[in-house]
Order: sequence, then structure tokens, then C-alpha cells
Amino acid sequence: MTDEMNIADYLAQGGRLTNPANVPPRYRAELMKLMSIFVDSELAGAAGFADVINDGPGIKERIAAARIVLEKTDHADKVLRLMGEFGANTDRYVGHHPWTDRLPRDTAPGSARSAHDMRLSVFNYPLEGWVDAVVMNLLMGHAVSVQLEDMARVTYQPLAEALREVLPVERRHTELAEEGLERLTAEGQGAAIADSLSYWRPRVAAVFGDPSEERMAQLQAWGLRHASAPEMRAEWEKRLDAALTRLGLTETA
Amino acid sequence: MPRFHELTVRDVKKTIRDAVVVTLEPANGESFDFIQGQYLTFRRDFDGTEVRRSYSICAGRGEGVLQVGIKKVDGGAFSTWANEDLQPGMVLEAMEPMGSFHTPLDATAQRSYLGFAGGSGITPVLSILKTVLATEPRSDFTLVYANRGVNSIMFREELEDLKNLYMGRLNIIHVLESDAMDIDLFQGRVDAEKCAALFEHWIDVENVDTAFICGPEPMMLGIAKALKDHGLSEEQIKFELFASAQPGRLARKATSAEAGTQAARTQATVTLDGTTRSFEMDKDLSVLDAALENAMDAPYACKAGVCSTCKCRVIEGEVEMIANHALEDYEVERGYVLSCQSYPLTDRVVVDYDQ
Repeated sequence: MTDEMNIADYLAQGGRLTNPANVPPRYRAELMKLMSIFVDSELAGAAGFADVINDGPGIKERIAAARIVLEKTDHADKVLRLMGEFGANTDRYVGHHPWTDRLPRDTAPGSARSAHDMRLSVFNYPLEGWVDAVVMNLLMGHAVSVQLEDMARVTYQPLAEALREVLPVERRHTELAEEGLERLTAEGQGAAIADSLSYWRPRVAAVFGDPSEERMAQLQAWGLRHASAPEMRAEWEKRLDAALTRLGLTETA
Repeated sequence: MPRFHELTVRDVKKTIRDAVVVTLEPANGESFDFIQGQYLTFRRDFDGTEVRRSYSICAGRGEGVLQVGIKKVDGGAFSTWANEDLQPGMVLEAMEPMGSFHTPLDATAQRSYLGFAGGSGITPVLSILKTVLATEPRSDFTLVYANRGVNSIMFREELEDLKNLYMGRLNIIHVLESDAMDIDLFQGRVDAEKCAALFEHWIDVENVDTAFICGPEPMMLGIAKALKDHGLSEEQIKFELFASAQPGRLARKATSAEAGTQAARTQATVTLDGTTRSFEMDKDLSVLDAALENAMDAPYACKAGVCSTCKCRVIEGEVEMIANHALEDYEVERGYVLSCQSYPLTDRVVVDYDQ
């Protein structure tokens, strides 16, 4: 009963790591990165959305926006707590970054991260009003689902469990965005929606990034990543286009 | 950040020849609530080196007692000390209970649980089964418990008592590796094949709601495979891995010969919050750890080179940053490093946290 095996073999055969004490250093570093990208993105996303709550045209819209802010912050908390088990200073973490910071609106789409936190690049761009926020939420919502479905299979069991709880709530946020766009379309906001779609589509597409081939192979071997960026981006395009078709929205390229 | 708390040792009891059950009580009367299946991380100084080890709680949640099981590991500083020198009245330091090797309980639920334990992997499983049986009066629990021989079965008597207490709801199957058993099925290793055989007549695997597995890696893989082959989903299978792969130090890359010397130590000068301190440090130590060891409250969060909280600027000398997941290239060019990932190359290093 005393056999010990190589952790990479163990993971390759479907094993799970369960707490910080049995996570090897390099795996840990990559896992921490995954988790901090998630946490920072949720915090930055929530912070950006908090600013547009009062742009909501009616009380229902404001409730929906406030709920999204609350729940995204809660999701950050769930994963930050796991980082805390690795020794991360969770109290300091949240206050350490200016989550509302954004680049100028006309910054070119790209996947370079900001220098001080690990948020996905898309959260570096500012929202401009209600229609813009709803459009971004729809586009990013589908991207989040595709990415979280991959991440929920992660070999670090506590993170997989946390993300399985997060996923249905994030999906609901995307539904709220679709419902919101339906109303905005009916109110004749088609032109503004089209503008926002063409602004956000390349910026959201850029969140699907592959690390170098070598690192990607390592991440896959450790079960920290599964699908490649092109695969995930294609799945996102498919879901997004289906949603836009449902809404009767055609993008002006 | 998790803090360490003082726990007074109330009792140390041998359960088998090389394992003890340690009963603990928070020293200052604070509550130390745990969830079944969680573990405590202890720290202790051994000849100037801090050793941290995690041990699972073996008590049930409602038992009103905090107990961990510590099996002696060959060459293990902490476990040997706990087995040989730990006495009632001594004070241990531990972080609050952690771990997610548990599922939510519901007093009205009628569930079937299946637990697999290998050797000292019994400790969290024991905590879970005691809590489940006490909290969910309509649920049942089947334990498959693998050991080398009868003499190495931890908690053997306690398990017998529990079987009598929860007659009909707790089923225990001992599988022994070396001792002869009346039935072949109960002898040998618990692997996928053995599980499949057990699922044929002895365990109603179709109706299992959740399976808990704690033991050595190959055993867990075999069991998980068998469970999946028999229809259990990923969500229904809970792993708890031994701490056999306790994190060691990341191997350092070969250093460039011209930059440093063969000297094992370096003279470090660190500026933090406007205060500058100098000390000699080991080149095998990260700049961050050296600062912390020298009582400087250096900032850090993830210690994985991720969060950049530990960023500092190298003013003089050279360090090797073995991982960087946070700093941009231009910052590195300007001399910024993640101190938790940086090891001195030169015999003198000056860094500044304030820049």
C-alpha cells in the first residue's frame, strides 16, 4: 500500500489533486495563474459592470446588473478562497489592484494583460453606457461558459468543484444579456447594438489565447487545460452566432 | 491569509504500533469548527528548519472533540516526533481546518455512501462516516478498508464499535494484502479488478450517491476507474490524496558561470517601507523568504510568481527569476523581479521593495 507514483503519470491516468500539500511546485504555479486569471477577471468584470448599474433604463435592468455584480464578486471569492489555502494573502489581494482601471476606449484589440493583475485582456476596455454593457455581457458570457466548461474539468478537485457551482450562474448572466438585448432591439437600438458588437467581438475573441506549444502540452498533461484556443474560439463563435440569429441581429463588420 | 493557532495536546493514544491519535484543544478557548474530512496543517521548528505537515481529522463533526491521526513515515521528522515525543500538555501550532473532502449533509436524506481507505487514508474517511451516520439517520455507509495485515489496521476496534452502534447502516469490508483471509476476494490489493469483483456481489454500486477515496495514488486510480466503469460520474467521486508528494523546492536551472561564484551565500541588502537592512543569506533561498526570515514584513500574496505583490527592484547584483507569470518584459528590463521566485547569483545583491 505504499506505492508512490509520479504525479504526472497519476494525473494522466485520471488522478485528482486535492489540497495544496500534494501539489508539486510547477503545477501549483500554473494552477495559481489559472485561478488568479479567473479571480482578477471576475473582480474586474464586476467592477466594470458596477459602474453601469445606474445606466440601466428601468428598475428590472438595474436589478439584473446589480445581481451580476454581486454574483461575479461571489465567484471571485470562491476561487480566491482556494488561493488562500495556498498561502495567498486574500485580504490584501482584493485591495491590491484597481479593478475599475481601464485603458482608453480606442486601444487596439489584443491579448496583452495589464501589468498589475491577471485579468483577461477584454476587461481592460471600458464600457460605454447600457447598450454597450449588455452587448459585452452577451459576448463575454458565451466566452466564459466555453472557458469554464474546459476549466471545470481541471485536475485540482477543489477548483473543479467550485467552477461547477459557478458555471450555471454565469450561464444565467448570459441569458440575462440576451433578454436585455431582445428588449433593446425592440426599442429600436439596433444601430447602437451593431456598433457595440463590432467593437467587442474582436476584443472578446482575443481572450482565447494559447500559450506556447510546449507549455500548452504541459498544461494538458497536467489536466489544467484541455481544448486548444482555436477549438474554444470556434465553439464560442458558434454559440454567439446562434444567439445573434435568435435576436435577429446581424453584425456590421 | 490563514493564521496559525495554538492547540493544547490533551491526549496521545497509540492506535497501532506506528500511529497515534492526538486529541487537541484550542489553547485560548476559540472555536475551531471543522467539517468532516478536513485536515489540519501543523508547523514546527526542527533544528532551525520549519516543517509543515498536514494530517486529517479523524473525529466526527458532532463529537465535540478535535482529533487527528498521525502515522509514522520513515524518515518523516514531524510524524516520528509526534509518535515518539508528543505528550499531553504540549502546545502545537496549526492552521484552521481546510480541505473539501466532503459533501453537504441533509438530515432528511436517504443516501448510500461508499468509502475506500488505504492504510492511514482511513483518518478522513472515518471522520466522514461517523458524521454521515450521525447526521443522516436514513443513510448508509460501506467502507472498503485496505491494509497490509491485521496489525496495521488503524481504528480497528473503533470501527467494530461503530458497526454495532449503526447496525445495518455501516458495512465494513477489510481487504488485506499479506494476511490470509477466508475468502479470496478479501485478500490482495484493492485495484480496479478487485473493485469490479466487489461490485458484483458485495456492494450495490448502482445505488451509490457519493464515493470517497483516500489512499495511495495507484489505488485511487484503480478504484476511480472501476467506479466510472460502473456508472459513477466525476462529480460523485471524491478524492483525497495523501500528502506523499509534499511540495519540495523547485529545482533551479543551471546558473550562468560568469555571473556568480561557487560561494553558497550572498550578502543581501533589502529596502522595505523606507528601511534598509543587510544580512547574509543562502543562495538557495528566495529573496522573499530571506527577507521574511530576517523579520522584514515583505509583501507577498501567491508566492507562485503570479500576483506580483512581491515585486521588487534589483539595484545591484544579479538574481535568477525561475518563474514569472506576472511581470511584463519592460518591467523585467527595468530590473523588476518577483522576489518569491528570485535567487541570488552574485555574492552581493541589493533589492528595493519601495520602487
